[in-house]
Amino acid sequence: MVLALKFPLIFSLIAGYTFLVSAHVFAEDVRGEGAVARREGREHWAFQSIAQPPTPLVRDRDWVRNPVDAFILARLEDESVGPSAEASRATLLRRVSLDLTGLPPGPAEVEAFLSNTRADAYEQLVDRLLASPHYGERWGRYWLDMARYADSDGFEQDRVRPYAWRWREWVIHALNADLPFDLFSVEQLAGDLLPGATIDQRVATGFHRNTLINREGGIDGEEDRVKRTVDRTNTLGEVWLGMTVGCTQCHDHKYDPLVQSDYYGLYAFFNNLEEPDIPAAPPEELAAYTMVKAAFDREHAPYLERISAYEKNKLPATIAAWEESLDDAVPTWVVLEPAKLVSRQGSTLTRQEDASVFVTGENDRSDIYTFVAETELSGITSFRLEVLPDERLPMDGPGLAPNGNFVLTSFRVIAEPAEPALAGSDSSALPRVFTLQHSHADFSQVNRPVAAAVGDDATSGWAIYPRVGMTHTALFETREEIAFEGGVRLHIELHHALHHDHNIGRFRISASTQRRPVRSDVVEILRLSEEERSEEQRAVVAEFYRTLDPELNALNAAAVEHARGAPKNPGEKNRAQAVEERSEPRRTQVHIRGDFLQKGEEVAPRAPTLFPPVVARAESADRLDLARWLFAPEHPLTARVLVNRLWQQYFGRGIVATDNDFGTQGDPPSHPELLDWLAARFREGGWSLKALHRLIVTSATYRQSSDARPELQERDPFNTWLARQNRLRVEAEVIRDLGLAVSGLLCYELGGPSVRPPQPAGVAELGFNGLVRWKPSTGADIYRRGVYTHFQRTVPYPMLMVFDAPNSNTSCTQRERSNTPLQALTLWNDPVFFDMARALGRRIAKATLESRDRQGQVAQRIFYAFRLCLGRDPDRAEVVSLSNFYASQRKQFEADEDSAGLVIGAPSGPDGETTAERAAWVMIARTLLNMDEFITRE
Amino acid sequence: MHPLEESILHSRRHFLTSTASGVGALALSSMLEADGLLGTEAAAYNPMARKAPHFDARAKSCIFIFLAGAPSQIDLYDPKPKLVELHGQPLPESMSENVRFAFISAKTARLKGSPRKFTRHGQCGMELSDRIPHLATCADDIALVRSMHTEEFNHHPGQLMMNSGVGRFGRPSVGSWVTYGLGSESNELPGYVVLSAGVGSSGGTSNWTSGFLPSTYQGVAFRGQGDPILNLKSPPGVSRQRQREGLEVLSELNRNRLAQAGDEQIASRIASYELAFRMQMAAPELMDLSGEKHRTLEAYGIDRTEPENLRHRGYRSDAHGVFARNCLHARRLVERGVRFINLYHASWDHHDALDKDLKYNCSVVDQPIAALIKDLKERGLLDSTLVVCTGEFGRTPLADTHEPHGQKPGRDHHPFGFSLWMAGGGVPGGQVIGQTDELGWAPVVDPVHINDFHATLLHLFGLNHLKLTKRFGGLDLRLTDLGGKVVEKLLG
Repeated sequence: MVLALKFPLIFSLIAGYTFLVSAHVFAEDVRGEGAVARREGREHWAFQSIAQPPTPLVRDRDWVRNPVDAFILARLEDESVGPSAEASRATLLRRVSLDLTGLPPGPAEVEAFLSNTRADAYEQLVDRLLASPHYGERWGRYWLDMARYADSDGFEQDRVRPYAWRWREWVIHALNADLPFDLFSVEQLAGDLLPGATIDQRVATGFHRNTLINREGGIDGEEDRVKRTVDRTNTLGEVWLGMTVGCTQCHDHKYDPLVQSDYYGLYAFFNNLEEPDIPAAPPEELAAYTMVKAAFDREHAPYLERISAYEKNKLPATIAAWEESLDDAVPTWVVLEPAKLVSRQGSTLTRQEDASVFVTGENDRSDIYTFVAETELSGITSFRLEVLPDERLPMDGPGLAPNGNFVLTSFRVIAEPAEPALAGSDSSALPRVFTLQHSHADFSQVNRPVAAAVGDDATSGWAIYPRVGMTHTALFETREEIAFEGGVRLHIELHHALHHDHNIGRFRISASTQRRPVRSDVVEILRLSEEERSEEQRAVVAEFYRTLDPELNALNAAAVEHARGAPKNPGEKNRAQAVEERSEPRRTQVHIRGDFLQKGEEVAPRAPTLFPPVVARAESADRLDLARWLFAPEHPLTARVLVNRLWQQYFGRGIVATDNDFGTQGDPPSHPELLDWLAARFREGGWSLKALHRLIVTSATYRQSSDARPELQERDPFNTWLARQNRLRVEAEVIRDLGLAVSGLLCYELGGPSVRPPQPAGVAELGFNGLVRWKPSTGADIYRRGVYTHFQRTVPYPMLMVFDAPNSNTSCTQRERSNTPLQALTLWNDPVFFDMARALGRRIAKATLESRDRQGQVAQRIFYAFRLCLGRDPDRAEVVSLSNFYASQRKQFEADEDSAGLVIGAPSGPDGETTAERAAWVMIARTLLNMDEFITRE
Repeated sequence: MHPLEESILHSRRHFLTSTASGVGALALSSMLEADGLLGTEAAAYNPMARKAPHFDARAKSCIFIFLAGAPSQIDLYDPKPKLVELHGQPLPESMSENVRFAFISAKTARLKGSPRKFTRHGQCGMELSDRIPHLATCADDIALVRSMHTEEFNHHPGQLMMNSGVGRFGRPSVGSWVTYGLGSESNELPGYVVLSAGVGSSGGTSNWTSGFLPSTYQGVAFRGQGDPILNLKSPPGVSRQRQREGLEVLSELNRNRLAQAGDEQIASRIASYELAFRMQMAAPELMDLSGEKHRTLEAYGIDRTEPENLRHRGYRSDAHGVFARNCLHARRLVERGVRFINLYHASWDHHDALDKDLKYNCSVVDQPIAALIKDLKERGLLDSTLVVCTGEFGRTPLADTHEPHGQKPGRDHHPFGFSLWMAGGGVPGGQVIGQTDELGWAPVVDPVHINDFHATLLHLFGLNHLKLTKRFGGLDLRLTDLGGKVVEKLLG
C-alpha cells in the first residue's frame, strides 16, 4: 500500500536557512539497492515545499532596489565584499534590450535613453521592452529549446512538419499576453482536456508533438509510440520538475527517491495520446470566413429547403413505389472464391468452409491482405465485404485487435482479364485499379466511417468499435463496370495502415453486377411488412433509399454544385499539431528493464510517491490533473525550477547551477533563501512571468557592471556571489538578429510559418539519400529573425548550429556557449554576414554628418557605427584604430578599384562617396560585426 | 561542471600563463610570423589543444570508415558453407522464436546462402569473399571481428548506436569523445573531420554530433563541393592580405575591450580568429592533391570513373572518384595531426538485388580502402593510426523476399551478429576474433557488443572508457553507456 506524503509539518531554522522538514511515511520499496539512498533522499532540500523566507537585513540598505538585492548583498556582506558599480547607462540599455527582446536598441533609442534624466527612466524602459511583441519571440525561443521544437520528424527521411509553427505562434502570443505560467503550462500539457477547450488551447498541446518520429520502413509503430511516450514523460521531468526521471525507465533510481513504478505512473498520463493535426485557422482568418460563410449559407438555404421539402412531401411515396418495383429485393451476390491469399506481413490466411478467410499470425504489424479471385461474372459494379465474428478471435472478432476491432484504411480493387489473349489491345489487358464510390456500411464507429476506406489515405479508415463480436457489412461500388471477355481476375487489397494490430480477423468478399445493390441488412428489413418494421428499421430503409432516388439525387447534385462556390474553410489547410485522449484507453504496465515488449505490473497514472499526490477529478487521474498538480501550492519543484531557469538566463548560471538536476546529486543552491523567496513570490504573484522578469532586471544585482574583479578571482572564481554581472555571448538566433538589425536588413514581421534563409549548396544534401530539400525563401523572408528559421533536424541551418543552437532532439534547458574557429569563419565570411556588412557599410556611409572636415567626418561615422552596433560611443583608442584602418583600406581600394567593386557588390551607393570609400566602410562594418563585444551581452 | 564554469576555468588556465608575457603581446605576436604557423599563446586558447591520455596510447589518430546501410557480412567477411547447403530451407524453429525483422517475416523466411566465393588470404589465411579482392591483400594487417552484435535494427537508431553507443539522439559520437579526451595534434585544422561520398546516410549530421559535449568537439563535415569547410573562403574582394589586416584591427579592438573588461573569453575569441585565419590556408592546401605522386593517385583510384555496366543502388556520377579522394584526404589529415576522421559511404542497405548492389558498392570502396592501409603502412603511420570499417549492423542469413523484393532477393537488417574490421593503431593484424553459429545468426564465440568495441577503441587511445565521462542531466555519462568491456584478444 502506498501512503501519500504529508506536507509541511515542521519548520526549523538552521544556520539562517529555513528548511521545511517533512515527516514521511514510507510504505514502498524499503529493500533493494539504493533504497537507503532513496529514503534519505526524501529529506533533500528540493523536495520540501516552499515557504517565503524573510528578507535578510543588510548594512548597505541604499544599494538595495528590491528584495532580490538584499539576499545577494547579505551574502556579499558576509564575505565583506562590496557589489560592483552599476553598469553605464549605455551598457544597461543594450543589456536589457538584448535580454528582454533579443534585439539591440536603435541609435534613436540610445540617444533618448542617454538623455532621459528621469529617475525611473530605466523602469520605464523595462516596461516598454516587456510590452514589445519581440519579448515573446525572445523568450519563446528559450521555451522552444525546452520543448525540443523542430520543423521536421528527425529520423531518416526527416519529413517536414508543415504545421509545427502554429504551436510556436501560440507560445509567442501567450508569452506576449503574459499568460500566467500555470495556465501556460496546463494548456500545453492538457489543453485538450479543459472543459470547452478552445482551438487555441488545443493548439497549445502541440508541445507534445515536438517529439521525434521514426517513419523508417521497418519500424515497429508501437515501439516508436512507446519511445515518444517515454520522451514526453522525460520532458515533463526536465522542464517542470528539473529532474532526470529518465533513468527510472529501466530501473529504480540510484540516488533519488524514485522507483521504476513511479516512472510508469507518470508515463501512464501520456500513454493514451492520439496525435491529430486539427483544423486551426488563425482567429482573424476564421472570423473573416465565418462572415463570408454566413452570407453563403443564406444563399444556399433554398437548395437545402428544396431537398427537405422533397423529403417531407414526396419521399415517403417514392420509397413505397420503389419497394413495389423491387420484384425480388434480394440482390444477386456471388461469393468470390479465394484463389490466392497473401499477407504482406507473413500472417496466414486460410479459406474457411463458407469461403470466408480466417487470419492467424503474429498480428504485430500493419498488414495488407491481397485476395485474388477469378470469376466469369461480367459487368461487376459492386463488392460486398463481410467482416465476420469468430470465437477464435479476441472478443470474438471480427478484428484482431485485443478489443475485437479493426481499422480498414483502404479497400482496393485491381482487375485484369483472366484470359489476356481475349482482351484486345495490350493496355486494356494490364491490371488496373478500379475507382470506388458509394460506400455503405451497416455500422461505422464514430469518426471511422466506411467512406474512409475508399482511397489511399492511410490515416483514416473504417472501424466498428464498440459493436464487436458480430457481422458487419460494407458495400463498395465501382465507378466503371468491370467486364472482360473470358472472365476477370480480381486482386482485392485490404489495407490496415493505421495501427500495428488492428487487422481484420475473418472476412468474406462477394461481387454483384447490380448497381446500387440493396444492402443485406436492408434486404432483411424489406422482407418484413410495413407494420412489422420498427421506427429504426424504417429509418434504415429511408436512409438507404435516399441514395437511389433520381429526383432527390438531382436536388442533391444541384446543392452540391452550388456548394462548390462555398468559401474555403481556412481550417482545412491551416492545421495545427495537437494531441487528444484516445477513446480506447491503454493499460500501462512497467516495461521490465525498459523493454516495451516485457510487460510487468500494471500501473495507474499517479505522481511519484516522493511528491504530493495528484488529485483526480474523476475516478482515475488524467493529464489535466497532472498539469494542475504541478501548480499545487505544496508542490516543491515547479516554481523553484522555473525561477532558477529565468535567473540562469540573466546571469549565465542558475542559483542551482545544475538547472536540470534538482535531485540529490545536483549542486546545492548558491542562495537558497533567494531561490525560495523568488519561487514563493512567483507562485503568490499569480505566476506572472513578466512580473518575475521585471523583478530581476530592475534589481541592483542585475544592473551591476560585468567587468572582472581581479581581487575576487581567487575567492569567488565562478562569480557565484554575484559581486558583478557576467558577460555572456548571446545565442545563435540573437547573433543573426543583431547583425540584421544593425545593418537595417531585419524584417521585424511577427509570427507565421518557418522560413528558409539561403544556405550554402551541399548542406541539405547531407540528409538521408539527399531527400531533404532547401528551397530558399524570397523577399523580406530571408531577413526574418532566427526564431523563424526552418529547423530541419538531420541537417539544421549551419549558422545556428555553429553557435550552439540545440539539436532539438531532447529538451535543452541550457545552451552551451562555445568559442570556436568555425564561429569566426561564420561571422567573417558567411555570405549572409557579409551582406550585413555591406548593408551596414552603406548605412554608415550614408549617415548625416555635422562636421565638414574630412577627418572629423570619418570620426563621426565611426561614432555612428558604434552607437548602431554597440549602443555606446567609442573610446579614443577605438577611434584611432578604426580611423587608421579606414584610411589604409581606402588608400588600397583607390589603387585597386576592382576589389573595391567586389567588396561593395551592389553598384548603387550614397552620393559623394567614392567606390573606394564605400568599400572601406564595408570593411569597417565587417570589423564591428566581428567584435567580441558585438555578440556579447555585457 | 557548469558550462560557464568550464569555459571560465579553461580560458583562465591559459590566461594566467599568457598574461605573464603581457596581454598586449598576446595573439598578435604570432600573427606577425609566417602564415601557417600558430603562435604558442594562441594555441593555449585552443580547446582542441593536446591533452594527456589516461595511460600510454597505442593509437594517435583514427580513420573510421562507416558503410552506412549495413553491408552483408555473410557475403563479405563471414563464410557459411552450412548456410549454402541449407539454401532455400526455412529457419529452424528453435531460431525463429522471439525474433523481429524490419521487413521479412520469420515464418515465411527462407535461408539464403551466399553465392560468393571465399578464399584464404595472407599468411594468416583469413577467409574473405571475392567481392573485396583488394582488401584481401591486406589480410595480415587486419583484425576481423566476426562476432559483433547490437540491439538496434533500424538504420537511424543503429547508426546512432554505432556512433554514440546508444541508439538514441543526444549522445556524443566516438570522434567527439576522443577529441574531448585528447584534443588534436593539429593547430590549423579541426580535430574531427567528416568526409562523405555518394548519397547521404540515414543519420545525417547526427552521426557526428558532439551531443551534450561542447560543439567544439563536433565533427566538421568537409564538403564535396565548394570550400571544404563552410565559409572558409574570404568574401569577394577580400584578399589574404586584406583578411590579415582586418584580423589585426579586429584583434586590436578586442584586446582593447579585454583590457577593460578582463574577461578571458575575449582572449579566447582572439585566438579563435587566429586559428580560423590559419585554417583558411591549411584546409585548401589539404585538399590540393597536386603534390601527390602519380603512383599514389593511381593506387587509390582517384581518377576512376563510374563503370557503366555496374550502375546500381547508390550510384552517383562521381562516387568512385570521391570516395577514393576521401581516403587519400584521410591519410593527409592524419599526417597533419587531425585526431579523428570519419569516412562515410551510405548505400549498403541491400534488401533486394543483393548481387548487383554489392558488386557496385564494393567496386567503389574496395580499392581505395586497401590503398589507404598500404599507404599508411609505407609511411610508417599505420602503427599509430587505427582504421576501422563497419556498418550499423549486419544482414540476415535469410532472404528478404517481401514485396517488392520478391524477384531479386537481398537480405534484411540483422543486429544479432555481424562483422567489422580494424587495422593499425596497435591492433595486431592477421587475426579473426569471435565466431558466429553455422548459419551466421549470432555469435557463439567471443561476442563483442558495440559498447565493448567502443571500450576497446578508447583503450587503444589510452583512454579508460569508465573514466572518460561528462556530467549531463545529473549523470556522469560515457560513450559505453552502461556497458563496455575491453576486448583483450584484439589487443594481442
